[in-house]
Amino acid sequence: MPDLRDMPDEPPPFLGTWRHIYIGVLLYLCVIIAGAYLFTREFE
Amino acid sequence: MRPLDWIVLVTALVSIVLYGLYRGRGSNTVDRYLLAGKSMPWYAMGLSIMATQASAVTFISTTGQSYVDGMRFVQAYFGLPLAMIVICSTVVPLFHKARVYTAYEYLERRFDSKTRTLASVIFLCQRGISAGLTLYAPAIVLSVILGWPERTTTILMGTLVITYTVLGGIKAVTWSDVQQMGIIFLGLVVSLITVIVLMPASVSFGDAVFLAGKAGRLNAVTTHFDWNDRFNIWSGLIGSTFLFLSYFGCDQSQVQRYLTGRSIAQSRLGLLFNAVAKIPMQFFILFIGAMVFVFYLFVQPPVLFQRAELSRIERVGAFQPVAEQYSRAFEDRRQAALALVEAHHARDSAAEERRIAEYRAAQKEIDGARTQAVKLVESTGGEKGFSDTNYIFLSFVTRHLPAGVVGLIIAVIFAAAMSASSGEINSLATVTVVDLYRRYVRRAASDHHYLAASRWATLFWGVYAVTFAGWGKRLGSLIVAVNVVGSLFYGSLLGCFVLALGFKRVGGTATFIGMLAGEVAIFSAFLFTGMSYLWYNVIGCSVVVATALAITYLAPGATATTPGMRQPV
Repeated sequence: MPDLRDMPDEPPPFLGTWRHIYIGVLLYLCVIIAGAYLFTREFE
Repeated sequence: MRPLDWIVLVTALVSIVLYGLYRGRGSNTVDRYLLAGKSMPWYAMGLSIMATQASAVTFISTTGQSYVDGMRFVQAYFGLPLAMIVICSTVVPLFHKARVYTAYEYLERRFDSKTRTLASVIFLCQRGISAGLTLYAPAIVLSVILGWPERTTTILMGTLVITYTVLGGIKAVTWSDVQQMGIIFLGLVVSLITVIVLMPASVSFGDAVFLAGKAGRLNAVTTHFDWNDRFNIWSGLIGSTFLFLSYFGCDQSQVQRYLTGRSIAQSRLGLLFNAVAKIPMQFFILFIGAMVFVFYLFVQPPVLFQRAELSRIERVGAFQPVAEQYSRAFEDRRQAALALVEAHHARDSAAEERRIAEYRAAQKEIDGARTQAVKLVESTGGEKGFSDTNYIFLSFVTRHLPAGVVGLIIAVIFAAAMSASSGEINSLATVTVVDLYRRYVRRAASDHHYLAASRWATLFWGVYAVTFAGWGKRLGSLIVAVNVVGSLFYGSLLGCFVLALGFKRVGGTATFIGMLAGEVAIFSAFLFTGMSYLWYNVIGCSVVVATALAITYLAPGATATTPGMRQPV
């Protein structure tokens, strides 16, 4: 089984590292869910 | 269909096919035919992934789902970004590094041939059924618009898709998907603008949103927990994460998309683009369905949206009182909706409450009349479990949208169906040739031979999809049916890959037995409980992992992998 830690990783084109990109996506998800929740509360 | 609609439809379809063939030229080796020579940029992969996942079902069925059940279906996509992060950080570099054609090819390197074969067969069963559903969706379109039998249109669509896929390979499929998504986005925007413009002059956009909310159609997030409730935030975050992990990590129709990337970074960016864009897109489509519902508060919809069945029961004597009850209830609901808007403008809370009660009473009458109509369909030789959810948006499009726009919307549906179906057939052919034919039948033939085998396999799966397409009409909402079918198989595949990546001591036999146990558990949940399908993936994956671990640690001698079975392909 290949060891992932040994694999060379290319940096993303923005935000420096993939870890930063993933954190950005997580924050985006939180904003989306919060927005959808507020949308529901506002109009239900 | 008016002449302008035909012109738009034919022009769009011809341009899509020609563009796909143009971009797919030069697919004359197995590597180019199945993986586009690993040359794809991230945006093409991202849009292709979205197009394959969306298909015509998204347009037809999601709007209908919102019409009858509100927007809470969007929660089924909350797990997508989580799954994309896991996929990007684990299997994307692994598959690229292993230089495999299929996800299951890797399983033989990690476990043994029987585990790879079982995973391949599970994929072929599941994706074969889904390919039929993907072809069935546009057949509904033509049956509604032109009155053609669904069988005829399925064969017609299948023939187009098979020809296109056999000639173009994955490069043609991917680039045509990019074009599809552009047309889909255009169609979505035009649909929303049109439905808002068609509202009565006295109802503003704000009023329409207000009414949709009061009618329970803007329930994007529901926080209560219920195992049997298909869509709530918990099943969305937990269940759908497992579903998308399975779909993007173990389903060759998606894996093959990001294997065409020119680098690991390009593949990751393609998947993350999908993670960011998918939820807003689903939200937008569901919102269109909610607006169509509001439109039909003021314009009487047909008792049933499927024209053929409606025409049939209209000739039955018992239909007349049902139609009268429906018309009376519609008028009551229309008056209640208008009065509710007035009360809202006047900021009169007490009046609002009264109007809402009136609205709900009228809605109950309408639901009752529709239930009676469905019973008439079933009692007069129609289909048992009849559902017209998939016909709602199409009925709205054909009855109320202007010339040209109808053609555009139908072109979107056709084009999306063709690209999604061709992608599925392409991946089915890849697994058939790489994981079964090349593994068990001809192990050392020429590249030309495997290219020819891939084209023949594509033809076979195209015919299979056409044959299976008729099953789709028995499954109610197509968008849900596609996900249910996937969830019956994905959990076991996901468990297998979790074991491959996370548990070094687990061998092939333990994994193989675990996968069989996982399938038994999933089908038991499906057949004997009312549990939401989103949980099947969690159950299946958990049972596979638990069973394999138990076997590995409790009976290590019994599951030792046979020497020589771990031969690389």
